[in-house]
Amino acid sequence: MFFGLFRKRKKKAKKEGSRNDAKDRLNSIVSSRRRSVPIQDIVPQEVLDGSEVDVKNQIRHYVSEKYNVKEENVKVQFEEHNGYVVIITNVVFH
Amino acid sequence: MANVFVVTSGKGGVGKTTISANIGCALATAGKKVCLIDADIGLKNLDIALGLENRVVHTILDVTNGKVGAQEALVRHKQLKGLYLLAASQIATKEMISPEDMKKVINSLYKNFDYIIIDSPAGIERGFRNAIAGAEKAIVVTTPELPAITDADRVIGLLENHGMDESNILLIINRFKKNMVKKGDMLTQEDIKENLAIDILGILPDSEAIIVATNRGVPVILGDDNHSAIARVIENISSRLQGEDIPIDRDLIQPQSGGFVDFFKRIFKRER
Repeated sequence: MFFGLFRKRKKKAKKEGSRNDAKDRLNSIVSSRRRSVPIQDIVPQEVLDGSEVDVKNQIRHYVSEKYNVKEENVKVQFEEHNGYVVIITNVVFH
Repeated sequence: MANVFVVTSGKGGVGKTTISANIGCALATAGKKVCLIDADIGLKNLDIALGLENRVVHTILDVTNGKVGAQEALVRHKQLKGLYLLAASQIATKEMISPEDMKKVINSLYKNFDYIIIDSPAGIERGFRNAIAGAEKAIVVTTPELPAITDADRVIGLLENHGMDESNILLIINRFKKNMVKKGDMLTQEDIKENLAIDILGILPDSEAIIVATNRGVPVILGDDNHSAIARVIENISSRLQGEDIPIDRDLIQPQSGGFVDFFKRIFKRER
Protein backbone atom coordinates (compact mmCIF):
# COMPACT_ATOMS: atom_id res chain seq x y z
CA MET A 1 0.00 0.00 0.00
CA PHE A 2 2.84 2.34 0.96
CA PHE A 3 4.52 1.78 -2.44
CA GLY A 4 1.18 1.99 -4.18
CA LEU A 5 0.79 5.61 -2.97
CA PHE A 6 4.07 6.56 -4.66
CA ARG A 7 3.05 4.84 -7.87
CA LYS A 8 -0.15 6.92 -8.06
CA ARG A 9 1.82 10.12 -7.48
CA LYS A 10 4.20 9.23 -10.26
CA LYS A 11 1.28 8.69 -12.64
CA LYS A 12 -0.18 12.09 -11.75
CA ALA A 13 3.09 13.87 -12.40
CA LYS A 14 3.27 12.36 -15.88
CA LYS A 15 -0.22 13.60 -16.82
CA GLU A 16 -0.08 16.35 -19.45
CA GLY A 17 -2.55 19.19 -19.99
CA SER A 18 -5.35 18.58 -22.45
CA ARG A 19 -4.48 21.63 -24.55
CA ASN A 20 -2.15 19.68 -26.82
CA ASP A 21 -4.82 17.04 -27.47
CA ALA A 22 -7.34 19.76 -28.27
CA LYS A 23 -4.84 21.51 -30.56
CA ASP A 24 -4.06 18.35 -32.51
CA ARG A 25 -7.71 17.42 -32.85
CA LEU A 26 -8.66 20.95 -33.91
CA ASN A 27 -5.90 21.00 -36.52
CA SER A 28 -7.05 17.72 -37.99
CA ILE A 29 -10.74 18.76 -38.03
CA VAL A 30 -10.27 22.26 -39.42
CA SER A 31 -7.50 21.52 -41.90
CA SER A 32 -9.33 18.57 -43.46
CA ARG A 33 -12.52 20.54 -43.87
CA ARG A 34 -13.21 22.00 -47.30
CA ARG A 35 -14.02 25.66 -46.91
CA SER A 36 -16.33 26.98 -49.59
CA VAL A 37 -14.77 29.66 -51.76
CA PRO A 38 -17.02 32.39 -53.15
CA ILE A 39 -16.87 32.47 -56.93
CA GLN A 40 -17.10 35.97 -58.33
CA ASP A 41 -15.68 35.39 -61.82
CA ILE A 42 -17.31 32.71 -63.88
CA VAL A 43 -15.22 31.28 -66.70
CA PRO A 44 -17.02 32.04 -69.97
CA GLN A 45 -18.30 29.15 -72.09
CA GLU A 46 -15.94 30.06 -74.96
CA VAL A 47 -12.94 29.62 -72.70
CA LEU A 48 -14.28 26.30 -71.44
CA ASP A 49 -14.86 25.16 -74.99
CA GLY A 50 -11.27 26.03 -75.83
CA SER A 51 -8.23 24.08 -74.94
CA GLU A 52 -7.92 22.23 -71.67
CA VAL A 53 -4.66 24.04 -71.00
CA ASP A 54 -6.38 27.43 -70.86
CA VAL A 55 -8.91 26.20 -68.33
CA LYS A 56 -6.15 24.66 -66.23
CA ASN A 57 -4.19 27.91 -66.37
CA GLN A 58 -7.21 29.95 -65.26
CA ILE A 59 -7.80 27.66 -62.29
CA ARG A 60 -4.08 27.67 -61.43
CA HIS A 61 -4.01 31.47 -61.55
CA TYR A 62 -7.15 31.84 -59.41
CA VAL A 63 -5.98 29.36 -56.77
CA SER A 64 -2.48 30.85 -56.60
CA GLU A 65 -3.94 34.33 -56.01
CA LYS A 66 -6.53 33.10 -53.51
CA TYR A 67 -4.09 31.14 -51.35
CA ASN A 68 -1.01 33.26 -52.06
CA VAL A 69 1.10 30.40 -53.43
CA LYS A 70 3.25 30.13 -56.56
CA GLU A 71 1.47 28.95 -59.72
CA GLU A 72 3.93 26.06 -59.94
CA ASN A 73 2.60 24.81 -56.58
CA VAL A 74 -0.89 24.36 -58.00
CA LYS A 75 -1.53 21.17 -59.90
CA VAL A 76 -4.76 20.78 -61.85
CA GLN A 77 -6.02 17.50 -63.26
CA PHE A 78 -9.18 16.67 -65.19
CA GLU A 79 -10.85 13.30 -64.85
CA GLU A 80 -14.12 11.96 -66.11
CA HIS A 81 -16.38 10.05 -63.74
CA ASN A 82 -19.83 8.85 -64.78
CA GLY A 83 -20.17 11.51 -67.44
CA TYR A 84 -19.02 14.36 -65.17
CA VAL A 85 -15.78 16.26 -65.53
CA VAL A 86 -14.09 16.26 -62.13
CA ILE A 87 -11.46 18.94 -61.59
CA ILE A 88 -8.85 17.89 -59.04
CA THR A 89 -6.73 20.72 -57.72
CA ASN A 90 -3.75 20.06 -55.48
CA VAL A 91 -2.08 22.96 -53.71
CA VAL A 92 1.35 22.61 -52.13
CA PHE A 93 1.54 25.25 -49.40
CA HIS A 94 5.01 24.50 -48.11
CA MET B 1 -25.14 55.57 -42.25
CA ALA B 2 -24.95 52.56 -40.00
CA ASN B 3 -22.27 49.91 -39.63
CA VAL B 4 -24.28 46.69 -39.83
CA PHE B 5 -22.91 43.77 -37.82
CA VAL B 6 -24.31 40.28 -37.36
CA VAL B 7 -23.36 38.41 -34.20
CA THR B 8 -23.27 34.71 -35.01
CA SER B 9 -21.62 31.46 -33.96
CA GLY B 10 -23.07 28.28 -35.38
CA LYS B 11 -23.16 26.59 -31.99
CA GLY B 12 -25.80 27.61 -29.49
CA GLY B 13 -25.15 28.79 -25.94
CA VAL B 14 -21.82 30.50 -26.57
CA GLY B 15 -23.10 33.94 -25.54
CA LYS B 16 -24.24 35.66 -28.75
CA THR B 17 -27.23 37.40 -27.16
CA THR B 18 -25.38 38.55 -24.06
CA ILE B 19 -22.52 39.87 -26.18
CA SER B 20 -24.92 41.64 -28.59
CA ALA B 21 -26.72 43.31 -25.67
CA ASN B 22 -23.51 44.40 -23.98
CA ILE B 23 -21.78 45.69 -27.12
CA GLY B 24 -24.95 47.62 -27.95
CA CYS B 25 -24.96 49.17 -24.47
CA ALA B 26 -21.24 49.98 -24.62
CA LEU B 27 -21.59 51.73 -27.99
CA ALA B 28 -24.66 53.65 -26.79
CA THR B 29 -22.78 54.65 -23.62
CA ALA B 30 -20.06 56.03 -25.89
CA GLY B 31 -22.70 58.29 -27.45
CA LYS B 32 -23.49 56.25 -30.54
CA LYS B 33 -26.99 55.60 -31.81
CA VAL B 34 -27.45 51.85 -31.82
CA CYS B 35 -30.21 49.52 -33.01
CA LEU B 36 -30.21 45.91 -31.81
CA ILE B 37 -32.23 43.49 -33.94
CA ASP B 38 -33.24 40.13 -32.53
CA ALA B 39 -33.21 37.72 -35.48
CA ASP B 40 -33.79 34.67 -33.28
CA ILE B 41 -37.46 34.40 -34.19
CA GLY B 42 -39.37 31.90 -32.08
CA LEU B 43 -36.64 31.75 -29.42
CA LYS B 44 -36.13 35.44 -28.71
CA ASN B 45 -33.95 36.46 -25.77
CA LEU B 46 -32.41 39.82 -26.53
CA ASP B 47 -35.30 41.73 -24.91
CA ILE B 48 -34.77 39.68 -21.74
CA ALA B 49 -31.01 40.31 -21.70
CA LEU B 50 -31.74 44.04 -21.95
CA GLY B 51 -34.58 43.97 -19.39
CA LEU B 52 -37.05 45.24 -21.99
CA GLU B 53 -39.37 42.22 -22.20
CA ASN B 54 -42.34 44.15 -20.76
CA ARG B 55 -41.95 47.06 -23.14
CA VAL B 56 -42.18 45.18 -26.43
CA VAL B 57 -45.36 46.05 -28.31
CA HIS B 58 -44.45 45.29 -31.92
CA THR B 59 -42.04 42.71 -33.29
CA ILE B 60 -40.04 42.31 -36.48
CA LEU B 61 -42.87 40.17 -37.88
CA ASP B 62 -45.27 43.13 -37.57
CA VAL B 63 -42.77 45.14 -39.63
CA THR B 64 -42.34 42.53 -42.37
CA ASN B 65 -46.15 42.03 -42.48
CA GLY B 66 -46.55 45.76 -43.03
CA LYS B 67 -48.57 46.36 -39.84
CA VAL B 68 -46.12 49.00 -38.61
CA GLY B 69 -42.97 50.70 -39.86
CA ALA B 70 -39.55 49.57 -38.55
CA GLN B 71 -39.05 52.86 -36.70
CA GLU B 72 -42.42 52.50 -34.99
CA ALA B 73 -41.65 48.97 -33.79
CA LEU B 74 -38.48 49.98 -31.95
CA VAL B 75 -38.29 49.94 -28.16
CA ARG B 76 -35.99 52.47 -26.51
CA HIS B 77 -33.76 51.35 -23.65
CA LYS B 78 -34.69 52.57 -20.19
CA GLN B 79 -31.31 54.09 -19.30
CA LEU B 80 -29.61 54.64 -22.64
CA LYS B 81 -31.37 57.05 -24.95
CA GLY B 82 -29.29 56.05 -27.93
CA LEU B 83 -30.09 52.33 -27.71
CA TYR B 84 -33.09 50.78 -29.46
CA LEU B 85 -34.35 47.21 -29.85
CA LEU B 86 -36.31 45.61 -32.65
CA ALA B 87 -37.64 42.52 -30.90
CA ALA B 88 -38.37 39.13 -32.40
CA SER B 89 -41.68 37.38 -32.14
CA GLN B 90 -42.06 34.46 -29.74
CA ILE B 91 -44.94 32.78 -31.56
CA ALA B 92 -43.63 33.06 -35.12
CA THR B 93 -41.19 30.72 -36.84
CA LYS B 94 -38.00 31.59 -38.71
CA GLU B 95 -39.59 30.59 -42.00
CA MET B 96 -42.13 33.42 -41.70
CA ILE B 97 -39.37 35.92 -42.55
CA SER B 98 -37.17 35.79 -45.63
CA PRO B 99 -33.65 37.17 -46.18
CA GLU B 100 -35.24 39.78 -48.49
CA ASP B 101 -37.57 40.93 -45.69
CA MET B 102 -34.58 41.30 -43.41
CA LYS B 103 -32.72 43.39 -45.97
CA LYS B 104 -35.73 45.70 -46.30
CA VAL B 105 -35.95 46.15 -42.51
CA ILE B 106 -32.26 47.03 -42.29
CA ASN B 107 -32.48 49.40 -45.25
CA SER B 108 -35.30 51.29 -43.55
CA LEU B 109 -33.22 51.73 -40.37
CA TYR B 110 -29.84 52.25 -42.05
CA LYS B 111 -29.83 56.05 -42.17
CA ASN B 112 -30.98 56.62 -38.61
CA PHE B 113 -28.28 54.73 -36.72
CA ASP B 114 -24.52 54.61 -36.26
CA TYR B 115 -24.56 50.87 -35.55
CA ILE B 116 -27.05 48.10 -36.29
CA ILE B 117 -26.30 44.84 -34.46
CA ILE B 118 -28.20 41.71 -35.48
CA ASP B 119 -28.35 38.86 -32.99
CA SER B 120 -28.36 35.66 -35.04
CA PRO B 121 -29.92 32.39 -33.92
CA ALA B 122 -27.77 29.28 -33.54
CA GLY B 123 -27.48 26.97 -36.52
CA ILE B 124 -26.85 27.54 -40.21
CA GLU B 125 -30.39 27.23 -41.57
CA ARG B 126 -33.04 29.80 -42.45
CA GLY B 127 -32.64 31.88 -39.28
CA PHE B 128 -28.91 32.24 -39.91
CA ARG B 129 -29.49 33.16 -43.57
CA ASN B 130 -32.02 35.80 -42.48
CA ALA B 131 -29.62 37.26 -39.94
CA ILE B 132 -26.66 37.60 -42.32
CA ALA B 133 -28.72 38.84 -45.29
CA GLY B 134 -28.38 42.56 -44.57
CA ALA B 135 -25.10 42.52 -42.64
CA GLU B 136 -21.88 44.07 -43.91
CA LYS B 137 -19.65 42.67 -41.19
CA ALA B 138 -19.82 39.68 -38.85
CA ILE B 139 -18.77 39.00 -35.30
CA VAL B 140 -18.29 35.27 -34.80
CA VAL B 141 -18.52 34.19 -31.16
CA THR B 142 -16.85 31.03 -29.90
CA THR B 143 -15.80 29.51 -26.61
CA PRO B 144 -12.38 27.82 -26.36
CA GLU B 145 -13.86 24.34 -26.85
CA LEU B 146 -13.62 22.14 -29.94
CA PRO B 147 -17.34 21.89 -30.84
CA ALA B 148 -17.77 25.67 -30.71
CA ILE B 149 -14.56 26.36 -32.68
CA THR B 150 -15.32 23.84 -35.42
CA ASP B 151 -18.84 25.27 -35.77
CA ALA B 152 -17.34 28.76 -35.93
CA ASP B 153 -15.07 27.55 -38.74
CA ARG B 154 -18.07 26.28 -40.67
CA VAL B 155 -19.88 29.59 -40.15
CA ILE B 156 -16.84 31.57 -41.35
CA GLY B 157 -16.86 29.46 -44.52
CA LEU B 158 -20.55 30.19 -45.05
CA LEU B 159 -20.06 33.92 -44.45
CA GLU B 160 -17.26 33.98 -47.04
CA ASN B 161 -19.47 32.05 -49.40
CA HIS B 162 -22.13 34.69 -48.85
CA GLY B 163 -19.63 37.20 -50.22
CA MET B 164 -18.30 38.64 -46.97
CA ASP B 165 -14.60 39.44 -47.07
CA GLU B 166 -12.35 37.75 -44.50
CA SER B 167 -11.31 41.17 -43.17
CA ASN B 168 -14.95 41.89 -42.28
CA ILE B 169 -15.29 38.80 -40.12
CA LEU B 170 -14.11 39.25 -36.55
CA LEU B 171 -13.81 36.78 -33.71
CA ILE B 172 -14.81 37.05 -30.05
CA ILE B 173 -13.56 34.33 -27.72
CA ASN B 174 -15.97 34.02 -24.83
CA ARG B 175 -15.63 32.26 -21.44
CA PHE B 176 -11.85 32.28 -21.64
CA LYS B 177 -10.26 30.80 -18.52
CA LYS B 178 -6.78 32.17 -18.00
CA ASN B 179 -5.97 29.75 -15.17
CA MET B 180 -6.85 26.74 -17.35
CA VAL B 181 -4.67 28.09 -20.16
CA LYS B 182 -1.83 28.46 -17.64
CA LYS B 183 -2.28 24.84 -16.58
CA GLY B 184 -2.22 23.74 -20.21
CA ASP B 185 -5.83 22.58 -20.12
CA MET B 186 -7.37 25.08 -22.53
CA LEU B 187 -6.60 26.30 -26.04
CA THR B 188 -4.93 29.69 -26.15
CA GLN B 189 -6.14 32.63 -28.22
CA GLU B 190 -3.23 32.00 -30.63
CA ASP B 191 -4.31 28.37 -31.13
CA ILE B 192 -7.84 29.49 -32.01
CA LYS B 193 -6.71 32.35 -34.24
CA GLU B 194 -4.29 30.08 -36.09
CA ASN B 195 -7.07 27.63 -36.96
CA LEU B 196 -9.85 30.09 -37.77
CA ALA B 197 -7.56 32.55 -39.57
CA ILE B 198 -9.55 35.69 -38.74
CA ASP B 199 -8.75 38.68 -36.53
CA ILE B 200 -9.72 38.63 -32.86
CA LEU B 201 -12.02 41.44 -31.74
CA GLY B 202 -11.98 40.55 -28.06
CA ILE B 203 -11.37 37.90 -25.43
CA LEU B 204 -14.04 37.79 -22.75
CA PRO B 205 -13.16 36.05 -19.49
CA ASP B 206 -15.49 33.54 -17.89
CA SER B 207 -17.51 35.58 -15.43
CA GLU B 208 -20.18 35.14 -12.78
CA ALA B 209 -21.07 38.80 -13.21
CA ILE B 210 -22.80 37.90 -16.49
CA ILE B 211 -25.23 35.52 -14.74
CA VAL B 212 -26.05 38.15 -12.11
CA ALA B 213 -26.53 40.79 -14.80
CA THR B 214 -28.84 38.56 -16.87
CA ASN B 215 -30.88 37.73 -13.75
CA ARG B 216 -31.41 41.44 -13.18
CA GLY B 217 -32.01 42.29 -16.84
CA VAL B 218 -29.25 44.86 -16.67
CA PRO B 219 -26.29 44.30 -19.03
CA VAL B 220 -23.06 43.94 -17.09
CA ILE B 221 -21.60 47.25 -18.25
CA LEU B 222 -24.60 49.12 -16.83
CA GLY B 223 -24.86 47.22 -13.54
CA ASP B 224 -22.98 47.10 -10.24
CA ASP B 225 -20.18 45.08 -11.84
CA ASN B 226 -19.36 47.73 -14.41
CA HIS B 227 -15.74 47.80 -13.23
CA SER B 228 -15.32 44.03 -13.54
CA ALA B 229 -12.85 42.43 -15.96
CA ILE B 230 -15.64 41.46 -18.37
CA ALA B 231 -17.11 44.97 -18.44
CA ARG B 232 -13.68 46.37 -19.24
CA VAL B 233 -13.25 43.93 -22.15
CA ILE B 234 -16.67 44.86 -23.54
CA GLU B 235 -15.60 48.50 -23.45
CA ASN B 236 -12.40 47.52 -25.29
CA ILE B 237 -14.48 45.73 -27.94
CA SER B 238 -16.74 48.76 -28.32
CA SER B 239 -13.69 51.02 -28.72
CA ARG B 240 -12.19 48.67 -31.34
CA LEU B 241 -15.46 48.73 -33.28
CA GLN B 242 -15.23 52.51 -33.25
CA GLY B 243 -11.78 52.29 -34.81
CA GLU B 244 -9.53 52.60 -31.77
CA ASP B 245 -6.38 50.50 -31.76
CA ILE B 246 -6.41 48.64 -28.45
CA PRO B 247 -4.07 45.62 -28.22
CA ILE B 248 -5.86 42.30 -27.69
CA ASP B 249 -3.48 41.42 -24.84
CA ARG B 250 -5.11 44.16 -22.79
CA ASP B 251 -8.26 41.99 -22.58
CA LEU B 252 -6.33 39.46 -20.53
CA ILE B 253 -5.10 41.88 -17.88
CA GLN B 254 -6.97 41.52 -14.62
CA PRO B 255 -8.28 44.78 -13.14
CA GLN B 256 -6.14 45.83 -10.20
CA SER B 257 -7.71 45.64 -6.77
CA GLY B 258 -7.41 48.52 -4.34
CA GLY B 259 -4.72 46.77 -2.31
CA PHE B 260 -4.71 46.11 1.43
CA VAL B 261 -7.57 48.47 2.35
CA ASP B 262 -9.73 47.16 -0.48
CA PHE B 263 -9.09 43.60 0.68
CA PHE B 264 -10.56 44.34 4.14
CA LYS B 265 -13.41 46.35 2.63
CA ARG B 266 -14.37 43.33 0.53
CA ILE B 267 -14.33 41.04 3.60
CA PHE B 268 -16.62 43.28 5.65
CA LYS B 269 -18.90 43.99 2.69
CA ARG B 270 -19.65 40.29 2.30
CA GLU B 271 -23.27 39.44 3.08
CA ARG B 272 -23.87 36.73 5.70
